[in-house]
Amino acid sequence: MTEEELRVGVYVCHCGTNIAGVVDVDAVVEYAASLPNVVHATKNMYMCSLPAQSGIKEDIKKHSLNRVVVASCTPKMHEPTFRAAVQAGGLNPFLYEQANIREHCAWVHADQPERATEKAKDLVRMAVAKARLLSPLNPKKIAVIRSALVVGGGPAGLRSAADLASRGFEVSLIEKSHFLGGNAVRSASLPFTDQTPREAAAVLTDALEDEKNISVHTGYEAESLNGYLGNFTISLVKKPRFVKECSNCGRCIAVCPVETDNEFDYGLSMRKAIYMPYDSAYPNYPAIDMSVCKKCGECVNACAESAIDLEAEDEKLDLSVGAVVIATGAKNYTPKDGEFGWGKSDRVLSLPVLERVLDKTGPTKGRLKGKVENVVFIGCVGSRQKKTSEEEKVNEYCSRICCTESVKNAIHIKDRHPDAGVFYLFRDIRTYGRDEYLYREALEKGVVFIQFEGDVPPEVNVLKKGAKVVVSDVLSRESFEIPASHVVLATGFEPGADADKVLEVFKLNRSADGFFQEAHIKLRPLETSTEGVFIAGACQAPKNLVESIASGSAAAAKAAVPLSMGEVELDPAKAMVTEFCDGCAICIDPCLGKAITLVEYEKDGELKKTVEVNEALCKGCGVCMATCPKKGIDVRHFTLDQLQAMVDAALET
Amino acid sequence: MTQKKALVIGGGIAGMQASLDLADQGIKVYLVERNPSIGGNMAKLDKTFPTLDCAACIITPKLVDTGGHKNIELLTYSEVQNITGEAGAFKVKVLKKARFVDIDKCTGCAACTQVCVLKNKILDEHNEGMGKRGAAYIPFPQAVPLKATIDPEHCLFLTKGKCTMKCVEACGPGAIDHEQKPEEVTLAVGSIIVATGFKLEDPAKKPEYGYGVYDNVITSLQIERLLSPSGPTGGEVKRPSDGEHPKKVAFLQCVCSRDLNTNIYCSRYCCMQAIKEAILLKEHNPDVEVTIFYIDIRAFGKGYEELYNRAKDEFGVNFVKGRIAEIHEKDDKSLVTIGEDIVGGGVVESKVDLVVLSVGVAPVPLPEGIGIEIPVWRDNFYRAKNQYVDAVTTDIPGVFVAGCAESPKDIPDSVTQGSAAAMRASILLEEK
Ligand SMILES: Cc1cc2nc3c(=O)[nH]c(=O)nc-3n(C[C@H](O)[C@H](O)[C@H](O)COP(=O)(O)OP(=O)(O)OC[C@H]3O[C@@H](n4cnc5c(N)ncnc54)[C@H](O)[C@@H]3O)c2cc1C
Ligand SMILES: Cc1cc2nc3c(=O)[nH]c(=O)nc-3n(C[C@H](O)[C@H](O)[C@H](O)COP(=O)(O)OP(=O)(O)OC[C@H]3O[C@@H](n4cnc5c(N)ncnc54)[C@H](O)[C@@H]3O)c2cc1C
Ligand code: SF4
Repeated sequence: MTEEELRVGVYVCHCGTNIAGVVDVDAVVEYAASLPNVVHATKNMYMCSLPAQSGIKEDIKKHSLNRVVVASCTPKMHEPTFRAAVQAGGLNPFLYEQANIREHCAWVHADQPERATEKAKDLVRMAVAKARLLSPLNPKKIAVIRSALVVGGGPAGLRSAADLASRGFEVSLIEKSHFLGGNAVRSASLPFTDQTPREAAAVLTDALEDEKNISVHTGYEAESLNGYLGNFTISLVKKPRFVKECSNCGRCIAVCPVETDNEFDYGLSMRKAIYMPYDSAYPNYPAIDMSVCKKCGECVNACAESAIDLEAEDEKLDLSVGAVVIATGAKNYTPKDGEFGWGKSDRVLSLPVLERVLDKTGPTKGRLKGKVENVVFIGCVGSRQKKTSEEEKVNEYCSRICCTESVKNAIHIKDRHPDAGVFYLFRDIRTYGRDEYLYREALEKGVVFIQFEGDVPPEVNVLKKGAKVVVSDVLSRESFEIPASHVVLATGFEPGADADKVLEVFKLNRSADGFFQEAHIKLRPLETSTEGVFIAGACQAPKNLVESIASGSAAAAKAAVPLSMGEVELDPAKAMVTEFCDGCAICIDPCLGKAITLVEYEKDGELKKTVEVNEALCKGCGVCMATCPKKGIDVRHFTLDQLQAMVDAALET
Repeated sequence: MTQKKALVIGGGIAGMQASLDLADQGIKVYLVERNPSIGGNMAKLDKTFPTLDCAACIITPKLVDTGGHKNIELLTYSEVQNITGEAGAFKVKVLKKARFVDIDKCTGCAACTQVCVLKNKILDEHNEGMGKRGAAYIPFPQAVPLKATIDPEHCLFLTKGKCTMKCVEACGPGAIDHEQKPEEVTLAVGSIIVATGFKLEDPAKKPEYGYGVYDNVITSLQIERLLSPSGPTGGEVKRPSDGEHPKKVAFLQCVCSRDLNTNIYCSRYCCMQAIKEAILLKEHNPDVEVTIFYIDIRAFGKGYEELYNRAKDEFGVNFVKGRIAEIHEKDDKSLVTIGEDIVGGGVVESKVDLVVLSVGVAPVPLPEGIGIEIPVWRDNFYRAKNQYVDAVTTDIPGVFVAGCAESPKDIPDSVTQGSAAAMRASILLEEK
């Protein structure tokens, strides 16, 4: 094979003033042109613009380039863009290398322009050194299993599952509890409509019923995920319900002797050990709570359908799917003991509790306890907190929906008790978008809004019936004392109770606020760091019902892409075993993707060992390459030789 | 038979995302955009909250992907004229307006824009009137498609019949064609996504702020253009009256939002937009004094409260609760804002060099009489039939809505809704 002459083209980007405001772009271009094998060096205001890309394409022909280097932003942003341009010019897209002179120079060294320019030159020299050693690579394609797993049976998960099923894919929906509907079905009402959240949820569960290719698994949790986009295997464990699908005649519940708090109603009602959280819950037949069941067998005897099996055990189920949507929701913030009188009186409620109380079909038939004289809402409980010390963990974020929900409920209370005073003590009223109409309505109906400053929160002094609430009003700069018959804490949201486990199983990350991290907050809010695993609903950030529903459909769209195409392309930057491997197997343990296996083979009558890489599992991280003492394994596109060349170039002056 | 094709109306971030998610599923998409380039309002932004990454950097890949996708056919500078038929089988008439440039020949070299005799004479809409362009123009460097357009309302030849026509001379490939006629095409599609976005409400509806009268009262979008390195001032914030760098800047929130005389609804992104722009001003020059006059700060999205806190604690942006009642102009063109400081108390008067109006959002409905009329909500934005079970399906079967066409929203929510509309539309297409 004759060595082809290396002809490198270097392009330096201004990125508007992002780079050019700090780095001397002309100097970098001039320097690049002086490097060995560089036959063309130029600059552009925006390398990512179409004309600049076409420029690359044309230059490849004009200057017979066979390697291209762009010095611009992070490759995370535009490597695909420039690879495509290189490909359009007729070269293999992997004969391309990027130097990040924006994040790594202009941005971090904004106050040292000369040194930033020198560093940019160093990075370009290193990139050219690597480019010389690049070889063409061809991505492999792998088949996709055309089915999806949806985790979480709240509104977001239900919407996702229904959409994917009606799009024609097999869908498995798993829900940890024994009933679907999530948080939404616990609230009493929705703004601007007479439709209840339960009716809305029923539209979605009806949609599931209509679909043939969907299986609903309640009581299930995922224990592990293996594989990769297109070919996941998931191990599930089912906590038994102890009841098979039945006609829900109710006899078992009637005879059960055990009574306990109904957590669905936050203990405002009692239920039996065999129970329905509410009458129309879906699936519409009871479950048994073994933590309180005495196994007396009364229900078994009462059941004419032999639907009850008190000895049912955990079940396991393995699924193979092509894509996963996570919609495990969020949990309500529980105030600390004594926080604004919490836990000291049944007249101090939180928003979720109030929703149960105001539900006309709920435990109190929609009535607040006692005489309703003054109802005082307190905003931002558990949200918008400020740290008082470095170590303290606080919820700095705004929980997004509590203002609207408070105002919605303030209106309900005012409607039902026109003579009662209804107060909302707030920091900012965040009834954003259309919800502003609700705020208007509340004002018109006489709800009193009083603003307090974040660092001077109201005080709640619990009395026998009600509480004395003291608030420093920003507007009048006076302190008011409100004799409250009821206090409602507008509690916010926190990441779900078992978020840690979900994150671990599905290999996801948390954002700084603790919610699940998306790939890009603006443009890829549904994608995650695990390809093929998407997030929807309140697990990503607090959301109202409409937003949760929208993100459910949206995550379904993301999953539908690989499922409908039937195959996906693998990044070719994967580990490859070289002739020097002697099967010492040191690399197997450290491999993060569990992608390496030891194999034996016969050569010249001798038994030999080596390792094999599963390219779909390999993440191309290079841990194996770093572990191997004998250059027996190398990562394509980041080979030892290529990295060595970069280091050598870095040390040159 | 159901047409396995979709129409997306509007090429902003919501329409682009919807198009990409359909096209990636193997569905053919016609994307109709009435401007010469796709990109919508986001293409005008400098940086974007909450992470302050530059808008051009993150929108360009979307523009390029959309423009280059094998399943997306772009019809830019085009308007939907008529829609007939029903879900699964719509017939859509689209008018491709004359660009007076043969886009197959045009290379986007911009030579014509450099020689146009009206160069720098016409207010440039991409720069929100802060800069000027010629009659032959390309809206912005990353435009997709990167093709020149000749503005028929100004071009001397097209309006007066005479011009030296330097553009024709300058055009190497001979792409300029002053005789070009509009073209009507008929598309057969199964579903339609409406993503016509928003415009800023007319700030002249609040005459007390003197927009259009006082030189140094500008809108939120105008300051984006001044902040942007590819804007008319190359990223230097200069006040319009004299090109000086402003030392004191006031932002007025809820202009034509949360207001009984204009629009009742809250426009949802403008609190964060002002916080972002204030931070950017501070980044340009830490000595600039920036004050935001607000009613409530609505920092409700992911990472928003955190950015709000940084604006206060790290960047020293002032926040004053209260609406400005009126603005007066001084002889030196600086401005006096008068309003109430609800927290500090009393009426405050302050003299500033530049006032930025955080103007609220108004809908951009489809032209009347095109054959479908999507019901709107009280706020005049298109509404979903039952948003609590399906956030994007309208009352008209087969017609979906996404982005600010549905209601004001920020980029993450627009993108999400774009994807959601794509999902719902794809179900219909794959059904039969
Ligand atoms: C008190 C209250 C009042 C509200 N009022 C309104 C209102 O008036 N208007 C409005 O628009 N919105 C309202 N909301 C918000 C609305 O309920 C949420 O937007 C919505 O419930 C979020 O949907 P989701 O599917 O993301 O999560 P969730 O509803 O939280 O559902 C998540 C589901 O996932 C399940 N799950 C969790 N972990 C796992 C796991 N590991 N494996 C399997 N399943 C798991 C949970 O059991 C749950 O069923 C209210 C919320 C609350 C709490
Ligand atoms: C000053 C300002 C700053 C902002 N900053 C941020 C920020 O930092 N972060 C953030 O998240 N959000 C920000 N936003 C909000 C953001 O701009 C919007 O969320 C986003 O642009 C909405 O996208 P869209 O696609 O819905 O609408 P648009 O961007 O308005 O796009 C609609 C498109 O449809 C086209 N169109 C309209 N009617 C027709 C028709 N009849 N036929 C064909 N085409 C048509 C229009 O020409 C346009 O291209 C900001 C907004 C403003 C005004
Ligand atoms: S987002 Fe802020 S500025 Fe915009 S209308 Fe709403 S409250 Fe006013």
